[in-house]
Amino acid sequence: MLLIHCPYCDEKRPEIEFAYGGEAHIARPLDPSALSDEEWETYLFIRSNARGRHHERWRHIHGCGRFFNAVRDTVTDKFETTYKAGEERR
Amino acid sequence: MSSLSVSTSPLPDEPFAADGVRVSRSAALQRYSLRARDPAKLAAVVGRELPGRIGGVTDGIAQLGPDEFLALLPVGTQLPSGEEEPVSVVDISSRAVGITVEGEGAAALIMSGCPLDLDRMAPGQATRTIYETVEMVLVRESETRFHIEVWRSFAPWLWQSLRLSAE
Amino acid sequence: MSGYRVTGAGRVDRARTVAFTFDGQTYQGYEGDTLASALLASGVTLFGRSFKYHRPRGVMAAGVEDANALVSVTRGPGRFTPNLRATAVEIYEGLEASSQNRWPSLKTDMLAVNDRLGMFFPAGFYNKTFMWPRSFWEKLYEPTIRKMAGLGNSPTEIDPDHYTAAYVHCDLLVVGAGRAGLEAALAEAGSDKRVILIDEQNELGGWALSDPDQAQWLAQSVATLTAAANVRILTRCTAFGFYHDNFVGAVERLTDHLAQPGSGAREKLWRIRAGEVVLAQGAIERPLVFEGNDTPGVMLASAARTWLYRYGVAIGRRPALMASHDSGWQDAFAMAAGGVTISAIVDVRDTVDDALLRQAADLGIAVHLGSSVIGVSGRHKVTGVEIAANSGTGRKRIACDALMMAGGWTPTLHLWSHSKGTIAWDESLGAYVPDKANENVRCAGACSGQMDLGTGVVVPALPTPKDASRIKAFVDFQNDVTAKDIGLAVREGFKSIEHVKRYTTNGMATDQGKTSNINGLQLAATALGRPVVDVGLTTFRPPYTPQTFGALAGHAKDALFQATRKTGIDGWAQDNGAVFEPVSQWRRAWYFPQDGEDMHAAVNRECRAVRESVGIFDASTLGKIEVVGPDAAEFLNRMYTNPWKMLEPGRCRYGLLLREDGFITDDGVAGRISPNRFHVTTTTGGAARVLAMMEDYLQTEWPDLDVWLTSTTEQWSVIALQGPRARDVLSALDTDIDLSPEAFPHMSVRLGQICGVPVRLFRVSFTGELGFEINVPAEYGPAVWKQIVAAGQPYGITPYGTETMHVLRAEKGYIIVGQDTDGTVTPMDAGLNWAIGKKKKDFVGKRSLARPDIVAPGRKHLVGLLTEDPSLVLEEGAQIVADPAQPVPMTMLGHVTSSYWSEALGRSIAFALVAGGQERMDETLHIPMPGAVHKAQVSGMVFFDPEGARINV
Repeated sequence: MLLIHCPYCDEKRPEIEFAYGGEAHIARPLDPSALSDEEWETYLFIRSNARGRHHERWRHIHGCGRFFNAVRDTVTDKFETTYKAGEERR
Repeated sequence: MSSLSVSTSPLPDEPFAADGVRVSRSAALQRYSLRARDPAKLAAVVGRELPGRIGGVTDGIAQLGPDEFLALLPVGTQLPSGEEEPVSVVDISSRAVGITVEGEGAAALIMSGCPLDLDRMAPGQATRTIYETVEMVLVRESETRFHIEVWRSFAPWLWQSLRLSAE
Repeated sequence: MSGYRVTGAGRVDRARTVAFTFDGQTYQGYEGDTLASALLASGVTLFGRSFKYHRPRGVMAAGVEDANALVSVTRGPGRFTPNLRATAVEIYEGLEASSQNRWPSLKTDMLAVNDRLGMFFPAGFYNKTFMWPRSFWEKLYEPTIRKMAGLGNSPTEIDPDHYTAAYVHCDLLVVGAGRAGLEAALAEAGSDKRVILIDEQNELGGWALSDPDQAQWLAQSVATLTAAANVRILTRCTAFGFYHDNFVGAVERLTDHLAQPGSGAREKLWRIRAGEVVLAQGAIERPLVFEGNDTPGVMLASAARTWLYRYGVAIGRRPALMASHDSGWQDAFAMAAGGVTISAIVDVRDTVDDALLRQAADLGIAVHLGSSVIGVSGRHKVTGVEIAANSGTGRKRIACDALMMAGGWTPTLHLWSHSKGTIAWDESLGAYVPDKANENVRCAGACSGQMDLGTGVVVPALPTPKDASRIKAFVDFQNDVTAKDIGLAVREGFKSIEHVKRYTTNGMATDQGKTSNINGLQLAATALGRPVVDVGLTTFRPPYTPQTFGALAGHAKDALFQATRKTGIDGWAQDNGAVFEPVSQWRRAWYFPQDGEDMHAAVNRECRAVRESVGIFDASTLGKIEVVGPDAAEFLNRMYTNPWKMLEPGRCRYGLLLREDGFITDDGVAGRISPNRFHVTTTTGGAARVLAMMEDYLQTEWPDLDVWLTSTTEQWSVIALQGPRARDVLSALDTDIDLSPEAFPHMSVRLGQICGVPVRLFRVSFTGELGFEINVPAEYGPAVWKQIVAAGQPYGITPYGTETMHVLRAEKGYIIVGQDTDGTVTPMDAGLNWAIGKKKKDFVGKRSLARPDIVAPGRKHLVGLLTEDPSLVLEEGAQIVADPAQPVPMTMLGHVTSSYWSEALGRSIAFALVAGGQERMDETLHIPMPGAVHKAQVSGMVFFDPEGARINV
């Protein structure tokens, strides 16, 4: 069970308090109706599936409740960093 | 009809005790979920001081997240709802029930299913966490006394799990 | 008793004898004995039968690495444990153990014929043989293999024991309490660090328990650690797995060693989170590979020494030694010093250290260098060995009654490897050692490769003049993998050691490579003609040794398997004879049978009551979310398909929620309590999912909105009062709310008091009748329910369950998300276009409603189905076809999603998802079901009161 640093609580907490939230930094388009079918398909379904450094969302659902972003290596499973939602991609 | 005389709890009246630990149903509480982006506005609406950091507890109000507070107050305490303000005040008095775990073995009993390092949780701290698969809010009232808040329908499971772990 | 017990030696308590049985025969041992040591002391050499060839086997090792002496222990109904290692079973008064994998008895095993037929059972035998004819597999091969295969028998009764668990946190975890582990713990004894020291054995010490010279140091060390308040010592506790971030799983065996286990937990699962981990797991001696190396009485030299010095048991009167490593010589000398005559020392090496030769000469032990054992005589017990010079000449027999083998040492890297630490090949040890750590963990002592045991050579198999293709020299004793099996695997093209392992089964089962993997690796590398380091090593996986399911399950069984959520009114339902059904984690009243009614009769009666008078239903499990803040309406407007901004306070609206891909994910009614406060309901099963989805959008897409979400599912008891007399019943109660149709129309909500408690009273209907949903704080739900039931007596108020609720809503064409939809249904597919805010620029899922695949023709639509035979109730899930005469496989148009007997209509009704269904109105379709193909006509979905006249009263 991983220890995950929650950037809001500012402490490492056990993995079972968290829920995984998929790839990070995929913003919902401001005006979806303006998107072509291909652009909308990309937003809905296309993900990087990175081997190695991966930006992803987690939620401290059984803690402070907040979504946040993380950089995790999908090969080693190690977290490089975590940061608050809305902050610049790292 | 008298409202108090008909209130029901999902937990038994009788506490249980084992080596160094006693588990009992807590007294009824007035509970509020308090939310605001700006805690100062919330403090102004409810007319109370707020903890100022996640995990802190001030006068019965625990800060669970950056914009989330849980007020555990004496029954009958009414907080203003702040309808026009950018805050959320929701009465959740019946949503959860309280379980008191006290004694030298209190921390160890909770750690039978809770993954937190309670050696590192100081008295006066509170947090939402989990016991196996059931979410709870844990308040450390003293070195040897904890208050658990658990949603009503999960309370019997948690009570029985603690009971079995205490044996 | 036999004379194999050596007077004065060992740590067993001679003052306390312990009687036990093995295969029904009674033996005696001493407190401190294992089953293996006590049986060896009694002269028993035959402990079990091997997996494939059913060869007689004894004990090979003295610890958990022993791969031969698997036994079953029974201690009453449900308390049967197979596949225990006799070397790890502590004896207690009355222990009942039995051997395994033999029939009818251990000494006469019919399946030992497999051994004679060995040439027919090469590696991959199962994969090759039972392929043809196909039909034989199910009837003949599989049952037969199942009978013959496997090790011990599975328990057949429910385990009555209970198991406990705990999380524990420490700064330093030391795994293994041999010398290195004890020293690591001693270094922190009395410090401010929280230290945990765990060991799988019954007492601390590891190898020091087998070495009287260390006894005093050991006793002092244990005393120091026991006295240190910061050190927690766990014995009989196996660290079985090392997981991320220094999370180590360990099982402590609490009662298995006790004659009177009492009522406490049998085992305790420790979930340990450590700042630093020191692994001091030690090293395991390697067997040597030669013909007959599995004969009972052939065992590791270190094990022989442990039997003598820890348990006071001599493995024979005249054992011999076969060595490729100095450590075996030291073991032989120690045995001799303990009074055991060593008949000969055979060493594959041409030269050894002079000091060893001098000591052997002093002790009068015959030495044969440059030689190897090439055969062992005796079937159930060693009676002698045949040796030959490595050149193949000079064959001769040596009389002995046991054979020690010393093949060098393999550091135990299991937990290190679980932690993803890398390993490096150490040529001098002929073994892998820890290299780079992946966690804050280090190895200490023998498992790090630091050993002071002399030198040796690595030989994949001992030289023999015999035809290698005709002998059985075992590598994996437990799985009966021989040297030639590994050669065969390589010849058949398996080049990866992982593939060789799976093809031959080398290192599988409980052994997990402890005694077999380095020998197997050496053999594979030799056969492949590649250096060992290029061949690699198979992966170690948890658990280190087998653990019980009970320990891992903990109390997650029976009533505590998972939380069964009950509403406050559940108790009343139970008292009133309800039959329950699970709905997500909740148990809900399904129907309320009276006077021997079956479900059909009960549901019909409940339905009639609601349509004709009034019914009462516990809807408390509905998900509820309080949406509060200045942007509450804006938020709902973005989430749901419907428009929300113009909804007046006091009014309600049905809301339809899509995922961003356009498919329906939830629905429910929301009431606007005040301008900035909504009471939103969700489906029972969708409550947590919908709240999480809303939080996601709120926190990450629209963090600028001033609105907050609070789950209020459990705040409110929800009592649905439905039927033409619902208002009459409510009027009889004490309430300050004006219930008149003018003041309180359908789809509105009022706040007030009822029966002296606060209420949010909704006028809503999921039945098509005049209806109310009475929301009171959950703690008052049961009391209010009872008052309503009492007030409803003049009208024959009838409690109804989820089944009646389903029938009534289906009569009205109301869908249930998750039953009539399956995650691929759009609002258009479901006929819910009316719920879409046409003027809204955006909402979650809107863009997807214009996706090419979603606007394409031929999608499945939700429609009604009326069977030609009105009494026939279709099966939910039944497939629908247009032409039943079409050859199989037919073109399937869709399936039945909901199907009931409608008491109000006197016929069956159904919903179905049908391709192009909305264009097939009145068309006759066919539903093949067991026994017959049924006809049904496509219809609209509102079967009852299509004008809605009954609601608006």
